[in-house]
Amino acid sequence: MPERSRVKYLFVLPGIIWVLLFTIFPLLYSLRLAFFQARLGKSETFIWLENFRRALFEDYRFWGSMGVTVFFVVCSVVCTVALGLALAILFNRPLRGQRFFRALFTTPLFTAPIALGYLGLTIFHEQVGAVNTVLQALGMAHPPAWFSAIWPARIAIVIVDIWQWTPFCFLVLLAGLQSLPDEVYEAAYLDTSSGWDIFRFITLPLLTPVLFTVTILRMVESFKMLDLPFSMTSGGPGLATQTYSFYIYLTGLRNFNAGYASALAYILLFVMIMISLSFFNRLRKIYE
Amino acid sequence: MRKSLRYALGLLAICAMLATMAAPALAQDPTEEAGMISGFPTTIEVEAKTAQAAFDAADKGQPDPAWKGKKITIGVYSAGQRGAISGPLYFWRQKFEELTGATYDIVEIPFAELREKIFTDLQTGAGTYDVIINCSNYYGDYIFNDWIIPIDQYFDDPRFPKWDRESIAPAVARLMQWGDHWYGGNNDHDAQVLYYRRDIIEDPKWQAAFKEEMGHDMPVKMETWDDVLEIAQFFNKKDWNGDGDPDDGITLHLKVGGQGFFHFMALSAPYVVIPYPGDPPTKVTKYHNVYWFDPETMEPLINSPGHVAALEMLLKLSKAGPSAMWGWSLGEAWADFLSGNAVLTFSWGDVGSLSQDPAQSVIQGKLGARGIPGTKSPYDREKGEFLKLDKPNMVGNQVGCSWHPVISKYSDEPELSYYFVAWQSTPPINHWNVATGWTGVDPGTTYDWFEPYGTAKIEDYVAGGYDAGDAKAFIGAYQDNFFNYPIFQNYMRIPGTPEMQEIWDVHLSEAITGQLSPQEALDLTYEDWTRIVADYGKEDLLKLYQESIGYTPE
Repeated sequence: MPERSRVKYLFVLPGIIWVLLFTIFPLLYSLRLAFFQARLGKSETFIWLENFRRALFEDYRFWGSMGVTVFFVVCSVVCTVALGLALAILFNRPLRGQRFFRALFTTPLFTAPIALGYLGLTIFHEQVGAVNTVLQALGMAHPPAWFSAIWPARIAIVIVDIWQWTPFCFLVLLAGLQSLPDEVYEAAYLDTSSGWDIFRFITLPLLTPVLFTVTILRMVESFKMLDLPFSMTSGGPGLATQTYSFYIYLTGLRNFNAGYASALAYILLFVMIMISLSFFNRLRKIYE
Repeated sequence: MRKSLRYALGLLAICAMLATMAAPALAQDPTEEAGMISGFPTTIEVEAKTAQAAFDAADKGQPDPAWKGKKITIGVYSAGQRGAISGPLYFWRQKFEELTGATYDIVEIPFAELREKIFTDLQTGAGTYDVIINCSNYYGDYIFNDWIIPIDQYFDDPRFPKWDRESIAPAVARLMQWGDHWYGGNNDHDAQVLYYRRDIIEDPKWQAAFKEEMGHDMPVKMETWDDVLEIAQFFNKKDWNGDGDPDDGITLHLKVGGQGFFHFMALSAPYVVIPYPGDPPTKVTKYHNVYWFDPETMEPLINSPGHVAALEMLLKLSKAGPSAMWGWSLGEAWADFLSGNAVLTFSWGDVGSLSQDPAQSVIQGKLGARGIPGTKSPYDREKGEFLKLDKPNMVGNQVGCSWHPVISKYSDEPELSYYFVAWQSTPPINHWNVATGWTGVDPGTTYDWFEPYGTAKIEDYVAGGYDAGDAKAFIGAYQDNFFNYPIFQNYMRIPGTPEMQEIWDVHLSEAITGQLSPQEALDLTYEDWTRIVADYGKEDLLKLYQESIGYTPE
């Protein structure tokens, strides 16, 4: 092999080592752990599929946290994509101060979720928070108990999540809208003047790949939700806002049950792969 | 365009230079920036003066010259330079340097990550921390994994300061030991006591109003939880502080993760723990002086009728205050009491010391306190029935962490580390920490109590910023709890304790917020604890549990 050809492998080597060390090794090691009873300070015991069996058939927290997560995913993804799309359409035309507002709308995206969580804690505080102060000023005698009742706590978290992630959808969808060809619209305007028809029959179909991508990215992100319930409610009241990732975190890093936490993480990975595959299959079928 | 670009770049360069110049100052240890008096980072003269007196009075041993230039690292939960528990480490550092020629780094770890950071460090043998200011419930894991070293080997070594282990409340002293060995130094002494507004409860006007409404005298002594409930219900939603708004009866922290289970722990003890009928009453048997598990079978007792009755009481109390407290953490509950909006709370010594800080409290001079109330109907597991007593069953507690230093097995400087531990444990320094409110160090030794029980003087506390009446009530309540209560709740410190407490906390919250009945919540806790015990190994845990509560199988 000529020396020049061999050199190129040297340049790639750091990247390969990095991936092997920090991606492949942890992935395989955690897969191994999922088949062991592995607790901090105790010797590991191989237990076949016991961790998976326990999660699926015995652990009420597994199903509870999965249910809470699905609720957050559905609410958050639907709302962020819908709001992001609405804002993108609004901004996909000449507007005064467009740059300023675009920058303003995207600021929550660049804030650490944990910081937003603590901000949410302040805003939704039941006695001195801004939200309840406004609601009381508007005449509501008994404003929601945001952190001590099940549904208000869930809704408070969803609102903060929507606040953070709508800008992401907005940015990506705006870029998608701006990349649509003008000729198609010019031709469509010859046939109809209805904005709704243009949106329904032209914009939406053309934007579908971007919408799919945004939706799948948001879903993956929402399934991992941890910071907001951690900082706003600690998963409470009871287990009402304890997401699946939060449960994995508690199991693995607070209770040091590494084997069971690995099994839980692999179940999440499996669910995510299934959802992503079905999405991309659907997308492929649309284009076929 | 080019000109404006030049201006922009110039501005950027100036900013960068300024930032570079400012960086070292910002990165500098803030204690060096703060005012120092006599080597103490304080601007309060009386604080420096009393600390210097404590320093002078403390035994200093004979520091080994070989320690000069060395450095150890202390891990502590994050509360800042004038914060609870971490504050004294900053306060005394320069004096430690003067004594030994060595120094120490302080690594503050957020409370939520404290256990995982420390355990990971010990598990991996990284040895980042020489000394850990730890929560007493970590001991099970420490001993199980052999992570910390016994310190009694240094007690007679003349290089180290002498400290008075006899003066420590026995219940707390036991937390620093395992088996026949001492592992921890003396520092903080946690327990929950009942705090109340002395000015309101003792006000004849309110006592008359209570009698008129309830048909009997106000039970001002609050000897039982029923008395507390009655008073809390009476004052709740009344404008007793005259601010024009309805106020609260009691304030609690009941949020998941807000340490609400500690409330239940203190409240439920008299419902569950009963004395041994023979001598001594503190003897631990299968049915007496136990709270957590059956000491013969390791079966959880957490859903016993006594526990359920106690949770029903907590539920009633949780409705005699703001409903928002179901979602409150520690700070919010304390703030409600300190800002004068609640008549009652039960919590740690921090409330006593914070109440003396005018920046946070409007109740200085109005504080009352007593030990945790009892019940006249504790549950007797042996008889399988609730007893009917003439006098309430009173059970002392050491609920909380009782933060104190231990030495890591992986420390490269165990002797220097022990010097620090012993020096901070000496009576003058420990008492100064207790008497100075912001340190968060709670009282628990005979030299913290007033005569005739101890050697402290009210002036010590007044010099530390206390109102004399408040100090008397606060210290008296602690002294009652540690020295006058006939029996004690055991402290759970077996491996898996934090995991059990975490799920217990969740189920208590489910009961408080009406998702489950008290019985259902505690039944679920029972199931979870049974699984955790099985995961850790029932036989291993049983042995450690018996050791930790002083139970000897017959």
